[in-house]
Amino acid sequence: MVSSSRVFRTVVLVLRVALGAVFAYAAWIKLRQPWELFAMSINDYGVLPDWAVRVVARTLPWAEALIGLALMAGRWLRVSAGAASLLLLVFFGLMVRAYATGMEINCGCFGPGEAISVRTLVRDGGLLAVSLFLTWTSFRGRRRAA
Amino acid sequence: MKLFVLALAALLPCLAASSDADPGKSLGSPSAPIRIEVFSDFECPACKALHEQILPLVFKDYVIPGKVYLVSREYPLPMHQYSREAANYATAAARLGKYQQVADALFLNQLVWEVNGKVWDAVAHVLTPAEAKKVQLEAKDPSVLSEVQRDVDAGRAAGINQTPTIFVTRGTNRFPVVGAVNYNLLRSLLDGLLK
Repeated sequence: MVSSSRVFRTVVLVLRVALGAVFAYAAWIKLRQPWELFAMSINDYGVLPDWAVRVVARTLPWAEALIGLALMAGRWLRVSAGAASLLLLVFFGLMVRAYATGMEINCGCFGPGEAISVRTLVRDGGLLAVSLFLTWTSFRGRRRAA
Repeated sequence: MKLFVLALAALLPCLAASSDADPGKSLGSPSAPIRIEVFSDFECPACKALHEQILPLVFKDYVIPGKVYLVSREYPLPMHQYSREAANYATAAARLGKYQQVADALFLNQLVWEVNGKVWDAVAHVLTPAEAKKVQLEAKDPSVLSEVQRDVDAGRAAGINQTPTIFVTRGTNRFPVVGAVNYNLLRSLLDGLLK
C-alpha cells in the first residue's frame, strides 16, 4: 500500500518538473526570436518606461530559463520556487489589470500572438497556484528538517 | 547544369518576396531584403494609428532607401460591420493605382463612416468621377472579392486573431508583430535584421 507521504512527494515532483518545463519553454520561445518582439509585448502593458522595457526584454527570458532548469533539476528550490512565484504574481497581476481595464493586448507569455483572455488568465492563475504550493512545500521541507 | 542551379537559387529570394503581393497595394522594391506584410482592418482604431503614425516613418526610413518592401493585406474583422465593404473599395482602387489615397481617406474618416455606414462617401471624394465609377464597378467584381477573401484566408492560416498584425520577413525568418506598434522597437528590430 502506497503511503500518503509518498503520494504527496510524487505530486510535488510532478508539479515541480512540469512548472520548470513551462518556464524553460517560455524562455526558449522568447530567446529564439529577436528580443524586440518580447519588448513590444511588455511595452503594451504600459507600466514601464522605454529603457526598462528594453532591460526586462533582454534579461527576463534568461531568468525564466534559470528558474526552469533549477526547478526541473530540483536545485535551490526555495529560491527557484520563490522566484517563480514572484514572477507569476507580477505577470498575473498585470494580466488581470489589463483584462479588467479592457486593454486588448497580448499576454507575451509564450511569444507574440496570444491575446489576454479568460483562458490565459485561468492558465496563468493555475501556474501561480502551483508555484505558490511548491514554494510552500520547499519551505515546509526545510522547517521539518530543522 | 551547375550554372542553371545557381541562377535558380539566386532568383528564389525574389520569387519569395513577391509571391502573391498585389503590386497595387505594395510599396518599395520586391527585392528589398526585408518584407513587411500588414494585415489590417479599416474599422480598427489601432490600425488607423499604425497607418497614420508608424507606416509613414517606415516608408521614409526603410522603404525609400530600398530596405523594406511593404505589402498591405486586408483582414476585416467579423465584428466590424463595414470593414469588408471598405476593404473591397480599397482593393478595387488598387486596380487604378489609388490604393494609398483611398486607404488614407478611409482611416482619416474612420470615426464617421463606422457610425453612419457611408463608406463610399469617404472613398469617393479622393477619386475623380471617372475613377469613382470604375471603383464602384470593380468593388463588385468577383476577382476583387476573392482577393480580399484570399488575404483573410492567409491571415487565418497564419493564426491572426487581432489587428493590426504585421509580419516582418527576412530570408526564411518570419516574425509576427501584433497590436499597437512602438516605432523605436520596430526600428531596432529592422536594423538588427539588416545587419
